[in-house]
Amino acid sequence: MNDARLYRLLRKVADVRSDEVRSALFLFFQFFLITFTFYIIKAVKESFVISVNPAWWPYADLITAVLIGFVIAFNARLLARLPRRAYASSTLIFFASNLLFFWFVFWLNTRRTFIISSLLPLAQRSWVPFVFIFSFWSDIFIAMSVTQFWIGVNDFFNPHQAKRIIGFLVTGGLLGGIGGSLLTSRLVHLINPVNLILVCPAILLGMLVLVNSLHKEREKTRAGPEADQARAATGIGYLESFRTVRGNRYLRILAGVLASAMVIGQLVKYQFNFMVKAQGWDKSTQTSFIATFFLAILVLSTIFHLATTGQVLKKFGIRLALLIAPSVLLLGSLAVFLIPASGLLVWACLLRGSDRAFDTTISQSVRELLYIPVPADIKYKAKIFIDMFVNKFGAGLGAALYFLAYHVLSFAMYQQPGTSISVPIRYLGILVVGFTLIWIILVWIIYAEYLSVMKKDLTRKWQDAHKLIDEHMDVDRARLIVDTIQSREKSSTLYVMNLFQLVKREKLTPELMEILDFKENEMKARSLDALLDVGGEAFFRGVEETLSDKDFEVQVREIMGLDSFKLVMGKRFAEITGKKTASEVERMEAARLIGQMEPSTDVFHSLESLLRDPSPDVLDYALGSAAVHLRKEYVPLILPLLGNPMNRQAAQDVLEAYGPRIEDVLRKHLQDAGERLEVRQAIPEVLARFGTQRAADVLTGELGRGEEELEQELIDALYKIRSNQPKVRFKPAKIRAAILSLIKKNYEALLAEGDSRPPGGDGSVSGPNMKAVLDLRTKRIFDLLALIHPPEDIVKAYQNILQGSKKSVDYSLELLDNILDRDLKTYLSPFIEDLPPDERIRRLKKLARGLGIVSP
Amino acid sequence: MDIRTRDYNSVIIFDIDGEIRRSDMTNATLHQLVKTQLEHGKRDILLNFEKVEFVDSFGVGEILASYISTNNLGGKLKLVRISKRLYLIFQVTGLIRVLDIYEDEAAALESFGKP
Repeated sequence: MNDARLYRLLRKVADVRSDEVRSALFLFFQFFLITFTFYIIKAVKESFVISVNPAWWPYADLITAVLIGFVIAFNARLLARLPRRAYASSTLIFFASNLLFFWFVFWLNTRRTFIISSLLPLAQRSWVPFVFIFSFWSDIFIAMSVTQFWIGVNDFFNPHQAKRIIGFLVTGGLLGGIGGSLLTSRLVHLINPVNLILVCPAILLGMLVLVNSLHKEREKTRAGPEADQARAATGIGYLESFRTVRGNRYLRILAGVLASAMVIGQLVKYQFNFMVKAQGWDKSTQTSFIATFFLAILVLSTIFHLATTGQVLKKFGIRLALLIAPSVLLLGSLAVFLIPASGLLVWACLLRGSDRAFDTTISQSVRELLYIPVPADIKYKAKIFIDMFVNKFGAGLGAALYFLAYHVLSFAMYQQPGTSISVPIRYLGILVVGFTLIWIILVWIIYAEYLSVMKKDLTRKWQDAHKLIDEHMDVDRARLIVDTIQSREKSSTLYVMNLFQLVKREKLTPELMEILDFKENEMKARSLDALLDVGGEAFFRGVEETLSDKDFEVQVREIMGLDSFKLVMGKRFAEITGKKTASEVERMEAARLIGQMEPSTDVFHSLESLLRDPSPDVLDYALGSAAVHLRKEYVPLILPLLGNPMNRQAAQDVLEAYGPRIEDVLRKHLQDAGERLEVRQAIPEVLARFGTQRAADVLTGELGRGEEELEQELIDALYKIRSNQPKVRFKPAKIRAAILSLIKKNYEALLAEGDSRPPGGDGSVSGPNMKAVLDLRTKRIFDLLALIHPPEDIVKAYQNILQGSKKSVDYSLELLDNILDRDLKTYLSPFIEDLPPDERIRRLKKLARGLGIVSP
Repeated sequence: MDIRTRDYNSVIIFDIDGEIRRSDMTNATLHQLVKTQLEHGKRDILLNFEKVEFVDSFGVGEILASYISTNNLGGKLKLVRISKRLYLIFQVTGLIRVLDIYEDEAAALESFGKP
């Protein structure tokens, strides 16, 4: 079957891309074979362990807990020293040969005659020790095989890919378990549990072929630097692996979550074993029951997994997915106090079934996702320790607790006839409840850490421009400097007036003095006042000294307070505003001066007149003066100036100076469809500068009206409020509706584009204009998302999607997955994910109806 | 402050010496002296600041009051040889556009049409 057919086939059952098909299938079958083998071994092993005295049960688990560390160390060295392919092959051959050896020992135990007769009593005496060794070996087998498998997953797929494909791969594992359990439950009656072991080496040899193909594929496609780095990291060994986990808070909590789950799993297993042993079955029946039990829970797990795992992760996120297992187990364990002894076998099956089902489905998937924010080198080191040691430590702790409970609470007496089996089961139940509560607490902590680590992992490539400007740029000062420099060309008086303002506002820095400084010759060339020539000295320095003199400032203020001054200037302003012959410079000077003067009727009337001046330069100064006097009569004169690009910013500055008391006036003009569009477009910025809750509500309400011409300004303004006023709240329903409206527009544009392209085209967005529109709208969507979600996360996610590498895009998508609600995630993903064009169109079409888009 | 008066072709020139400030107020203020000249029918006034070292806000008020009085009677009041500081004050306050200010006396007298 060629790749294209495989892709079409696989796409029906898994969210895979065409370039992922082969790797996904290889890994699917690898996991299938691992679990197939393991579930044969597991049923046999459990049956053998149950057949020994319950007092010895914990020894099997304690051996594992104590010795697994050495195996980890050895495994780490192997991983470091051997190429991945050689390592996988050699371990598979090793495990296959071990199985043959175990079969021989157990087979010998069942024989009454053998060529070497002296071996028979030895084999019979060593049954129990070999059961424990077999149990330990099976733990090593599954731990190493599964770790190998997940390392393979990490080698082949980046985090976002893994999240998509993980469900498919886990299904492979589940199906393998079902196959293995089914085979065991049927075959065990025919060939007995010991001979069943012989099936496994054959499967492992099949897996050897598969693993070699997988590594050949990997070497061909992407033996990238990350994989090499990971391989190098594994060479550090067990101690380093332990130190890695110890030195990382996130990994420590993760280890705690896994250990708690393992303790509970272990205790629940003992409860189950008690109930199975109490039935008094022979080994084949017991093995068949255990295999059937595993089969049942795996079938249920598969159904549960296919139906819910992906959906739970997509719809409710990691936190809820993490909480499902402990919550169900908590309720199940509490139920032991209500169930009669006759129902305990069913109860034990259900409880252990739940534990196993969750462990192999949702918990497994989520656990792997929890590794995503961990850097690759640390992940590999930590994974070896956590998967192979922490798991077993948890199981060992569970075994130790059982051991203590067994002896302290005298479980043995409850096995005597007439004594209720429910007593040890309930004692163990209390322990389970306690550890489940610990598990739930750790889940809360790890989720918070997960988001935190994810955020740190993303490189911040962009900063909030609004905030940057507000923090580092004094707009008022910048405007005054520009005014001052420009006025130098027009009038020395205006220039000095502006300089004086700079001095007064203490904004005349030495650097600025250098910029403004110029020599006498330039002065002369501009025919400025010869009076200020100072024999080759810099003009400005003398002026600056005088203007900076505090006495000078006081004197100017006193002069402006003189009745004679007011009288003279009143007459002067009347002349300027009353006669058409007054020059622009004269009007500019008057407009500037009014802002420095004390309020008076003459001043007010003159300013009203100047606010109607046709010259933008005059208006600029008049607006500056209006910002000083702030009379309500000016507002109707200022608002139209918002429509003039030359004066818009100054007009916005003045209106900002009025403050929230003019919110209603601005709201009316914003909502007035008869008002000039340019004026309406300038109002949101003013409201944003107020930064009040009312301003946010007005803007949100206007956004809800869906006027496209105002969309950008409204969103920018809302975003600015979000950046500057963290306490302001935005109505999520309205913002969400606006986001969905924008998403809908993008869908319609993309679908229209898709429908109009020729058959067989690649489906990519055709024109630069179209792309620009889509990009702009996407930017607006993210700006709005930042209103109702942590803005720094949204900004990071957006910038990484736009500019980052494939890896950072995937991290961003992962971050969004954890922040956004189900609908937004679903509808956003088709145009932010890196999808093949055809796939994108297919998804858009699938989701379009949900957005109310009717197919043409 | 010491003020001497000269008459040049009906232009009354006030030669001011010293500082014009409230604390140095003499028996007759500049404005009173100007008003006296206006009462004598004089309408062209030139204030010579060549020897004026400092003018405070009170002094500027005197100049403005003199200007208003002269202007109200249809006369002209002009200034000559003012200091850099006073010039800056007139610029900052906008008075530079109201008052006629000259660099030298000859140019000022010429501006009265009486050289």
